[in-house]
Amino acid sequence: MAEIDRRNFLKLVGVSAGAAAASGCNDPVQKLIPYVVQPEEITPGIAVIYASTCQECPAGCGLHVRTREGRPIKLEGNPDHPVNRGALCARGQASIGRTYLPDRYPGPMKRQADGGLAPITWEEAHALMAEKAAAAGDGAHVLGGSVGPTLSGVIDQWIAAVGAGGRTVYEPFDFTALKEASRTVFGVASRPRFDLSQADFVIDFGSDFLESWTSPVEHGWQFADARRVDQEGGGTRLVYVGPRLTLTAGNADEWLPAKPGTEGVLALGIARAALDEARGNGADVPDAARLRGILSGFGANSVSTITEVPAATIRKLGKALLAADQPVALPPGVALTSRRATATTSAVLILNAVVGAIGKTVFVVPDGDAADQVASFREMTQLVKRMKAGSISLLLIHDSNPVYSMPGDSGFAAALEKVGFVISTASGPDETSERADLILPDHTPMESWGDHAPRPGVRSLIQPTIRPLFDTRAFGDTLIESAKAMGEATAAQLPSGSFRTVLEEAWSDTDFRAALAAGGVYGEEAAAGTVTLATGVSSLHFKEPRFEGDGSFVLLPVPSPLLADGRSANLPWLQETPDPVMKVTWQSWAEISHASAEALGAEYGDVLAVRTSAGVVELPVVPRGGIRDDVIAISIGQGHNVGFYASRVEDGNPGGTRGVNVISILPALTDESGGRAWLVARAAVRPTGAHRRIPKTQEFDNKRGRQLGESVSLLALAEAAKAAESHGGGNGGGHGESPGDAHGGGHGESHEMRRPFDPADDSTEESEYRWGMAIDLDRCNGCSACIVACSIENNVQTVGEEMVLLDRQMQWLRIERFIGDGYQELVTGRNLPTDHEELGNTDVRHSPMLCQQCGAAPCEPVCPVFATYHNPEGLNGMIYNRCIGTRYCSNNCPYKVRRYNWYDLAIENIHEPMHLLLNPDVTVRGQGVMEKCTFCVQRIENGRQLAKDEKRPIADGEVTPACAQTCPTQAITFGNLKDEKSAASKQADAGEARAYHALHVLNTRPAITYLAKVRRDTEGTEG
Amino acid sequence: MTPPPTNTVAGMIRPVPMPPDSQTNRDLLAVMKGTSPGYWFLLGLALFFMHLAGGIWIWQVYKGLGIAGYAHPVFWGVYVVTFVFWVGIAHAGTLISAILFLFRAKWRNAINRGAEAMTVFAVLTAAQFLGIHVGRIWKSYFILPYPNQRGLWVNFKSPLLWDTFAISTYATISILFLYVGLIPDIAIARDRATGWKKVLYTVLALGWVGNSSQWKAHNRSVLHLSGLATPLVLSVHSVVSWDFAMALVPGWHTTIFAPYFVAGAIFSGFAMVLTLMIPVRRIFGLEAYITDYHFENMSRFILLTSIICGYAYAAEYFMSWYSGVEAEQTAFWLRAFGPYWISTWVMIIFNTVLPQLLWFKKLRVNVPFLFVLSVCINIGMWFERYVIIVGALSREYNPAVWGEFIPSWPEMGILAGSFGFFCTFFLIFLKLFPIVAIAEMKEIAIHEKAHGAQGSH
Repeated sequence: MAEIDRRNFLKLVGVSAGAAAASGCNDPVQKLIPYVVQPEEITPGIAVIYASTCQECPAGCGLHVRTREGRPIKLEGNPDHPVNRGALCARGQASIGRTYLPDRYPGPMKRQADGGLAPITWEEAHALMAEKAAAAGDGAHVLGGSVGPTLSGVIDQWIAAVGAGGRTVYEPFDFTALKEASRTVFGVASRPRFDLSQADFVIDFGSDFLESWTSPVEHGWQFADARRVDQEGGGTRLVYVGPRLTLTAGNADEWLPAKPGTEGVLALGIARAALDEARGNGADVPDAARLRGILSGFGANSVSTITEVPAATIRKLGKALLAADQPVALPPGVALTSRRATATTSAVLILNAVVGAIGKTVFVVPDGDAADQVASFREMTQLVKRMKAGSISLLLIHDSNPVYSMPGDSGFAAALEKVGFVISTASGPDETSERADLILPDHTPMESWGDHAPRPGVRSLIQPTIRPLFDTRAFGDTLIESAKAMGEATAAQLPSGSFRTVLEEAWSDTDFRAALAAGGVYGEEAAAGTVTLATGVSSLHFKEPRFEGDGSFVLLPVPSPLLADGRSANLPWLQETPDPVMKVTWQSWAEISHASAEALGAEYGDVLAVRTSAGVVELPVVPRGGIRDDVIAISIGQGHNVGFYASRVEDGNPGGTRGVNVISILPALTDESGGRAWLVARAAVRPTGAHRRIPKTQEFDNKRGRQLGESVSLLALAEAAKAAESHGGGNGGGHGESPGDAHGGGHGESHEMRRPFDPADDSTEESEYRWGMAIDLDRCNGCSACIVACSIENNVQTVGEEMVLLDRQMQWLRIERFIGDGYQELVTGRNLPTDHEELGNTDVRHSPMLCQQCGAAPCEPVCPVFATYHNPEGLNGMIYNRCIGTRYCSNNCPYKVRRYNWYDLAIENIHEPMHLLLNPDVTVRGQGVMEKCTFCVQRIENGRQLAKDEKRPIADGEVTPACAQTCPTQAITFGNLKDEKSAASKQADAGEARAYHALHVLNTRPAITYLAKVRRDTEGTEG
Repeated sequence: MTPPPTNTVAGMIRPVPMPPDSQTNRDLLAVMKGTSPGYWFLLGLALFFMHLAGGIWIWQVYKGLGIAGYAHPVFWGVYVVTFVFWVGIAHAGTLISAILFLFRAKWRNAINRGAEAMTVFAVLTAAQFLGIHVGRIWKSYFILPYPNQRGLWVNFKSPLLWDTFAISTYATISILFLYVGLIPDIAIARDRATGWKKVLYTVLALGWVGNSSQWKAHNRSVLHLSGLATPLVLSVHSVVSWDFAMALVPGWHTTIFAPYFVAGAIFSGFAMVLTLMIPVRRIFGLEAYITDYHFENMSRFILLTSIICGYAYAAEYFMSWYSGVEAEQTAFWLRAFGPYWISTWVMIIFNTVLPQLLWFKKLRVNVPFLFVLSVCINIGMWFERYVIIVGALSREYNPAVWGEFIPSWPEMGILAGSFGFFCTFFLIFLKLFPIVAIAEMKEIAIHEKAHGAQGSH
């Protein structure tokens, strides 16, 4: 080798170092590729909004799908839709994620001999399906959830064409009892509709209408409107009957923890009291004589003995309901559907008839064509029997997960083994599709065409907003194609075009394009027909229901407002959103009373074995005050062992089960008319000795008298108004006055409720804006839709169970739940999470807590690098790029609304294709950075640009943060506080007497004005 | 502070008079000679923990701070606790070298070198925690006010910025102090060293020959540095305390914090000097230079600062009760009886109860007892910071988000590594530089000769 001289050596060193540096420094080049042919309606950077319909539950809320560059990134309610009026619930918000779930099937798959799945082509799939259908003949059966009318028609046509045996529409939460009760009591085939918007006295026999029953968003806004405190009498009263302090019960004015199963008897007792009262004051009750006969055995005293509700209360309620103009009694929801559910529901309908609610708040409209086809549970069990007998050779399962949602002892999973060939159209794996032989993945609702008819007069359209991400086919098209593969004769019996053309034909009576733009056709709702009591009423038996098995507890399966019947469990935002009542995430828990826990020797987190006649589950216990001693409550929805987020795949434990499935220990029983009964089992409970940590996000509900989650009694409000009048100052007036004096001494509450400063002063003088909010705790019912809306709008990542155990969830918004005013409680030791609930106490305050955008923000001065600072419009800006992560700002934030990126969540938690959901207007925060609510500053900026184009200031209502936008009750109002006419200013001023700032004694000058919750009594409607 | 001893400067306790100069040189330089297997074992152990912590830290930078035990709302944990702990340790050195120098408390001469070295290494250890604790170490230069085109500046209102300046100033001054004091001793070592050490010492001695002009300059610079360092003793830990006192967290937001933290710092610093110097004296046979008299004086300091700390604890509780502020009362009740009660009682017993034994003279000169006590105080002072930081943050204004912090193994590894880092440097220092100031010890001998038995100043 030749000598290398000094110069050459240096050259070599230079070149190689340069080459190394050059190759080491460059990230791979990524190019922004402009559209070659730009789609007409898409401008990069500008959102395009499509109207559609939410498919997460049968309520059928209208959607506005916000898309950016061809990707749906956010769902909002369609303001024109009569069901939801622009709002969405937590599930609706999260449902956008179905399209982007990382575990979706990439295309049609066939089960192999070894149990694995192998991809096949659609042609092969259709041919296989055709072959099996032809071979099965009338041994073929279609089993699926409730679908829109057009798809339902195609399914029926397919069944007829291929000569299949039939179809069962299966919904775990059916309304058989309600339909049957309507038939029994009024002789009308109807699913009565309950309108709370005008109601002035509501008694709820456990429907949980704010959480899970029929149409929670609709009932949410109706109830909030009826409850407006500025009406005469201070808004509607709500009495809740049920064994557990649910979200709805926490919003009630009175809670009667009646013995579970006796709700019907209580309803009749109240009806009898009302009837007696009517006779006393000469009020006219139709059919009084017959009713008296039916109700003769339900005197207050005997009802009191059965239901454990005081006789005086029963009489009082009878009187109050009769006195009310617009009373309404709501029937039991899923949790209280006992084996006597039809009788119970009938009793509630009778009560409605007695107090004159029919035609005012309760509408018994004959279903006619709009009747849902949902089968009763009895039909389902018959299908299982036929499957077991081997008479079903082909089962086509769509939009349903019966392996999970059928009771443990119904034997569905075992019966499925007996079925020759199982086809599933699930778009991602679930317990049922795991057992399917052929998977023909359907589009997700964001990719589909379809329609929905939630009730007579309302027809909504579903339209695709993204090209299918995977090689999936619409179920309707799958049916049409498979029929084609069976030969021309079969194909001729089905529509020739695609499912989309079928849909367009079905809507040919309307202007399809206009309907698409509007999201549907919202005709006049049919007027309420007059109904009278049917003769069948007299034959009803109102006995107490029997419970299966023995054990000292009645097992109360609670439908989760977030996970519903378990179908929403694979959406990570719903897993991570704390249960609105118990604040538990990602896990199952059992609720028993403190007394029961003590008797069992179980403490918080101890694992209980809950055994019924159908099986046993083990889960940790959360003792609480808000439940009867004889009841153990377990939420429905967890316990999946399939699904990326629903099971433990995301935790790195595929096949692991997340939580427990309470359905698996429920005996398969029906009520007297064949509907599915849930409140059926007794449970024997014993501690196993194990202990488990529970991912609970709020451990203490004692607010210790601090200025958080305040409430004020209606009486005190009236006194304050009177005092203000006598001072001649109205209610404090606009800005600049000293509200402390204006209603000083107001309501004689123990806490101070004042606005000692005007947050409008906290932006610069030059600025036209000071962004702020008014949050009305009297309207907030705690539903938690805002949490999910915020997370999706702002790219807030979910972190999973392990991180929630360390309280490292990232949500910018949380709903704090306090019981009463609280008190200084000085406990010793490592205190376990505890509550201050009591049976019958409904003083539950839900307080949304988000960044208060303080005028004198404690976070700002402590940041050494100005990563958080005060912007000219009064917002606490947060510059992620500048943050070095000292976390001092969070320590100094008294509200504790800042969240920190402990890991690089964008790398660790966003699994493809979940990244397509990210909102391009919002920075994805990296590791080591603090983040928090910005009042959706990207929306403010968007509004500013639009306004600037038109050379005008931003108009009120033009900018709405995601939380306020989705709120079903419009509890959150956002706006410019410098504009006295803005909605936020007006709401804060209108509620002056109950306005306060959270922790105002710290002089942080928050931009959020809270309006205290109002405590009402139920002594009468006069307040 | 302490009354001068009756017959000699070194006091009655000293069994023998100061040895002659040559003996002093030999004895004190002997410490630096040769390395026993025990030394290598200790150094290896220290290096192991140091590198363990380094590895954990690299993992933490890669993964994120999530590997520590942080749980909302406790966003400061073991790292900040350990930072304050080491800053506290760093206080004894400057107090001994600067304040006691200005007060002409001659007994300091025997321990000042060890204390100064301890200070430098403690402050360097502490400074690392500023970096370990931030979430984005790679952007931490943002905290320096450097001119830039983007017009970004730092927030001088933030106590964390004050902290940055306080710590860097303190580190600079203590390094200078240590070095200036070392120069005459390095020259002595240079004159006897061979090989690479000769080169090292020659460079470091800056041509010291010990003539009168050099001594004059040396003494003047020590005096001036003492003047500069004296306010730092009070200010650095005051600034550190303001990291907490400036916040509105119940349990942090008190005016007592600055003096309370300074007293605590001196308390823990003296305890650490004892923890280090007792084994050094024993192992290297320095009983003639570091005598029981020195230990007694340090004990008295510890007793005094322990009482100040005890007063501060009591005052905090009194003020929280007297304030009538529910959040403060709750915070302090829970501090003593809530989830962190063990830490609180460790702190109270180790920091205020055990040191009361030092009222007994027999115990003040009982070296094994002092060693155990000093270790207890070190533990107690770590827990003091733990209680203040973690305890306060876990129970703040919003009861809906009260949470609890449990340290994770990586954090404890880095805590152990901080001792490893400190000990590594201290052990190397032992072998490279005289741990007792030779020149200053000789000064005492000269002093004794000149002033006879009276030793008055």
